[in-house]
Amino acid sequence: MRVNPNYTDTLVNLLNQSQQNQTNALQELSTGRSVSKPSDDPSAEAAMIAANSRFAANDQYTANSDSLTQVLSTADSTLSSAVTILQRAISLGVEGANGTMNQTNLNSIAQEVSGIKDQMLSIANTSYAGQYLFAGTATGTAPYVVDATDSTTIDYVGNDQQNQVQVGTGLSVGANLPGSSIFSQSGANVFTALQSLITALRAGDSSAIATAQAGVSNSLDALNTARVFYGNTVNELTSNESVLSQEKVKIADYQNTLVSCDTATATTDVAQAVYQRNATVAAAAKMNQVSLLDYIK
Amino acid sequence: MSGLISDLNVGVQSLLVSTQAMNVTTTNIANMNTPGYARRRVIIEQAPSTGDDSAIGVDVKSVESLRDNILDLSINAATSRQRFSSTVSSSLSTIELSFSDTASGSIGSTVDAFFSSLQSLSTTPADSSLRSSVLTAAGNVATAFQKTASAVADTQQQMDRCVVQDTASINSILQQIAATNTVISQASNIGQSANDAQDQQSALLTELSALIDFKTINSSDGLTLTTSNGTSLIVGSKAYLLTNALNANGFNDVYAGGVDITSTIQGGSLAGELQTRDETLATMNTQLDQFAFQFAQAVNNVQAAGSDANGSTGAAMFDPPDTTSGTSTGAASSMKVSLTRGSQIAAAASGGASGDNSNIAKMIALQNQSIVNGATPSTAFSNLSYYIGNTISQANTEATATTSILTQLKNQQGSVEGVSLDEEASNLLLYQRAFQAAAKVISTIDTLMGNILDMGANNPGY
Repeated sequence: MRVNPNYTDTLVNLLNQSQQNQTNALQELSTGRSVSKPSDDPSAEAAMIAANSRFAANDQYTANSDSLTQVLSTADSTLSSAVTILQRAISLGVEGANGTMNQTNLNSIAQEVSGIKDQMLSIANTSYAGQYLFAGTATGTAPYVVDATDSTTIDYVGNDQQNQVQVGTGLSVGANLPGSSIFSQSGANVFTALQSLITALRAGDSSAIATAQAGVSNSLDALNTARVFYGNTVNELTSNESVLSQEKVKIADYQNTLVSCDTATATTDVAQAVYQRNATVAAAAKMNQVSLLDYIK
Repeated sequence: MSGLISDLNVGVQSLLVSTQAMNVTTTNIANMNTPGYARRRVIIEQAPSTGDDSAIGVDVKSVESLRDNILDLSINAATSRQRFSSTVSSSLSTIELSFSDTASGSIGSTVDAFFSSLQSLSTTPADSSLRSSVLTAAGNVATAFQKTASAVADTQQQMDRCVVQDTASINSILQQIAATNTVISQASNIGQSANDAQDQQSALLTELSALIDFKTINSSDGLTLTTSNGTSLIVGSKAYLLTNALNANGFNDVYAGGVDITSTIQGGSLAGELQTRDETLATMNTQLDQFAFQFAQAVNNVQAAGSDANGSTGAAMFDPPDTTSGTSTGAASSMKVSLTRGSQIAAAASGGASGDNSNIAKMIALQNQSIVNGATPSTAFSNLSYYIGNTISQANTEATATTSILTQLKNQQGSVEGVSLDEEASNLLLYQRAFQAAAKVISTIDTLMGNILDMGANNPGY
């Protein structure tokens, strides 16, 4: 069979091919990815995009967990000072109820309890980053206000709502506890209990002081029960964050299997392409150095 | 004496034949790199006998082109397919980068960031800086849609210009082919070979096959050329030129003899440009519009169901869609954020307090709802990425396959039609020897005839 005398087309094709192989392998090595655009591997790219979304969501869930943990920890530590001062009010009530004190002493105790009540009001109106922590979702205004007609009464003007914040796929936690479930629970209102104690102390009525003191104890119990929410939620968030970071590693692993470049293979590819090119060029340079025409005289 | 004279004639004939054979060799060598050129060969035959069988001369019967028409046709068909695929692949390569998973500011990444900003806001719904971040993220989504849609539209425009340019190039080639037809039929009418015109025509057909697919029929008045669906392009010396006319979408369609052949063009760069413009990018365009429209509509609906920071019913966040018209056309390219202040984000349920996040939660939930043609926003974007990636990848595979077929065919063509210098050199050697031998014969006969004439001169009585 006659041979194609024109080998340049084939030669150029071969050289182009080895050049292309070099460029591809080099790009893989420099980017660390075997897939750099959708046409390289359409399915892998589509899966990468989905994984990117999950990755971004995971990051966001972690960020949500962090910021909730801060808010809830702040609220919890605020409540721990409320517990401390209520305990002080209870021991003052116990002192006042034992019947050994004169009215002057009882009045000064009443004065201290009144101070505790003011502190409690300030605690219940604690804000974090401009938002009232115990106002339900009406976070823009102070939830506890002195009643306009009766200055001894404290009114709750927040609402009973709780925000849910997503911290994982299909996982939401409560982001706040309304004051109505902490300080002003029905039958265990801290302010009413303290006011009763103040009134009883001022009246010097030992049995009423004892009753009022029991009422304050009762509201302390209620407050402590409410605090469990914060501790539980913060714990849940902490364990959730470790789940999230494990998921993140899994997503990153998955992305690696989709598009990452195998350095060993790519390096071998470069070497192979360079070798192939050198060999082709060397062979081409040696081809047809002699023609029959040289021998025609 | 008569024997010597016929020998002399045979010698001269032989000289002429060798000269002509060397001419052909020279032509071959000169044209070894000419596109469309097929090597030629002299066909030599015995000259008709003059009754004296002792001295039979030689004659050039013909000079033939070693052209393999079937191979040429296969090469043209493969060229059409190869150019179609490579045009599709190269024309989409800039667009596909907008759909890569690493593209910054892509629709996918900005939509993800939008939902992240809503998530942040859900932890502290009254925070004004977080509200502003949501508006910024929404603005980025709108910009991403605009940029992507305009990149698609720009490429469509560019393809349309290429269609017009290709039409002009095709017409120019058609006229040249028709001209070669004229030469060929004139030559065949007077019984001459038209190898030169054939070579030219062959090169032109290959050039044409890179632009458009076609069919050829060899007839008495040269080559008849038609489009793949049979509309005449060249009949005899007449070329029926292609024309362009705008279609309903404002793009140029291709007409042959008043018939719209746009949809029947299957090969060459023209087909690649048409497919990219009218199918791939047109689909992308529609999908992007629907994506933008349905996404914006879903967000706006949630907005309308809630209350903003001032307690008013939430206003539409994105514009369009015009929910009353319900049409998505142009939604992506004109998408913008219509809210101006973060306080307008309806974070709270209708009538809810300023710190309520329940409406934001509904907006976040859109991330996992099938709001875009039955897919979540992220899946909708990855579907688009897959669509364009797969279109290019298929075209690349096809282009690679046809390129190797083409290389193979060209190799075959070269083995039949290509000029080999070694072969020409050996021919040259052969004809040179024949020429030298014929010259020797002539000079020998000359000597013999001289001897005979001398015989008469030396014998005055003869």
